[in-house]
Amino acid sequence: MAELSVEICGVRFKNPVIAASGTYGFGREFNEIYDIALIGGISTKGLTLEPRLGNPVPRIAEGDGVILNAVGLQNPGVEKFIENDLGFLKSKGVVIIANIAGKTLEDYGKICARLDGLVDFVELNISCPNVKAGGMAFGIKPESIKEVTAVSKKSLKKTPLMVKLSPNVESITVNARAAESGGADCISLINTLTGMVIDIERRKPVIANNTGGVSGAGIKPVALKMVYEAVRAVKIPVIGMGGITCGEDAVAFMMAGAKAVQVGTANFTNANAIPEIISQLNVWLDKHGITDVNEIVDTLSLNG
Amino acid sequence: MKDLLATVKQNTEIAENIYKMTLTLPESAGALAGGQFVNLATGDGLQLLRRPLGICLAEGKDITVCYQLKGKGTQKLAEAKAGDRLKILLPLGNGFNLGSAKNIAVIGGGVGVFPLIYTMRKNQDRNFYTYFGFRNKKAVCLLNEVPKCKQFSAVTDDGSYGEKDNAVNAFFKAAPAVDLIIACGPPVMLKALKEGLSERNDKTPCLVSLEERMGCGIGACLVCTCKKSDGGNARVCKDGPVFDIDKVVL
Repeated sequence: MAELSVEICGVRFKNPVIAASGTYGFGREFNEIYDIALIGGISTKGLTLEPRLGNPVPRIAEGDGVILNAVGLQNPGVEKFIENDLGFLKSKGVVIIANIAGKTLEDYGKICARLDGLVDFVELNISCPNVKAGGMAFGIKPESIKEVTAVSKKSLKKTPLMVKLSPNVESITVNARAAESGGADCISLINTLTGMVIDIERRKPVIANNTGGVSGAGIKPVALKMVYEAVRAVKIPVIGMGGITCGEDAVAFMMAGAKAVQVGTANFTNANAIPEIISQLNVWLDKHGITDVNEIVDTLSLNG
Repeated sequence: MKDLLATVKQNTEIAENIYKMTLTLPESAGALAGGQFVNLATGDGLQLLRRPLGICLAEGKDITVCYQLKGKGTQKLAEAKAGDRLKILLPLGNGFNLGSAKNIAVIGGGVGVFPLIYTMRKNQDRNFYTYFGFRNKKAVCLLNEVPKCKQFSAVTDDGSYGEKDNAVNAFFKAAPAVDLIIACGPPVMLKALKEGLSERNDKTPCLVSLEERMGCGIGACLVCTCKKSDGGNARVCKDGPVFDIDKVVL
């Protein structure tokens, strides 16, 4: 049994495997399948200032090795989360990462102020591709990334700030640096790529929103490269995600420099994905005689 | 709710593009209700989503589901042979709660008949008045599994089997005296049922099972939403798939 705990921004995770936002709700449903206390952390469903009903259905489609979603930030709003779900997550002792999205800079500031000190991290969703209110407008250009990060950071006196970066951008390194210079304590990437799946019989896109966010095993090479680049662009910790389905995938992201990983779509393919990834990670480390998972972080050496 | 590695026992085409698969679970799935569903892996590494399928028959550790060939995922399922192993998450959702209803109308369309057949088999102390509709003769299947009904009719859109009619019409024509209606079928069928009941000012309690493209199948991802009559959203997988017809927008 290797040491699996990691520390990011002074917060201790019992292991480096975190449930990714939007795939795990607030943990209650997966807790009916396994005790969610065993996972490293949970990034909540994206929270907005007011409740949102989200997009029309269908909201999901499949490609080979990927899925496409456009849920459109359906959520009960930050107040209902605090009232109904925060206590449950706290009782589980997992690291709580509140994923938040705003329509305006002011929204981000207000939500951060409300959550400050209540959760372990605030993760800024500035890259939801599916709604105009999902912060995508903030997540493309480095100037606006820096601005929304700075506004959010100003409202967080106690809770560290994680900024989740979009891959649908000109330069991931420039944007990672923009988040850092705006005051981000750490960054997470990648959010979904944008895509479309077409039903050729109906001559229409499958999902009602026409386009959606592409995730799943097929995007892993794209994600790995971006994580690798972002790690080298900033000094703050990086949390990697994109297509992780097994312990070996988590190892690859950590070798590329991620201090922890998030797992999303795999939860749909395999309801026990996260517990299995944690145990596979352990087995891999044992097999390689590594006693502490932190030893593999950022150990990639490029081909000559 | 358990995620189990089941073994395929039988997988055969029972009507045009309709397959019936029986899987043997490594352990009992626990109490099951008609209208509940399973989330079945296709066994194809490229198709990441599981397929939500209504429970059609269950006996001991054997679970039977039926599915229609639609795309790559169901094609892969159709290729599964006896002895193959597939992950299955079950039981999911809320089934038909028949309460104390004695006389029950059962309205099914196409692949919607499967969960209804299981519901009837589980509750054979009730009186069923059953109306099933299919596209044509080639789509008619599993009628041999329907338990004894007070009244039973199967109709087709083109009249190639039974009368040329649809299930909802057949029900309204027969107008059985019932204290509950249960229905499962395509959205257009459920909508016609709701409108028909409303036109007739028929207040008989009515439960419908909805279908929607799903992600997790357990209520976490908010992909399979339906609209509630009060303006909010409900999760088809977790809050349903069976809903009171008056509580949802069809």
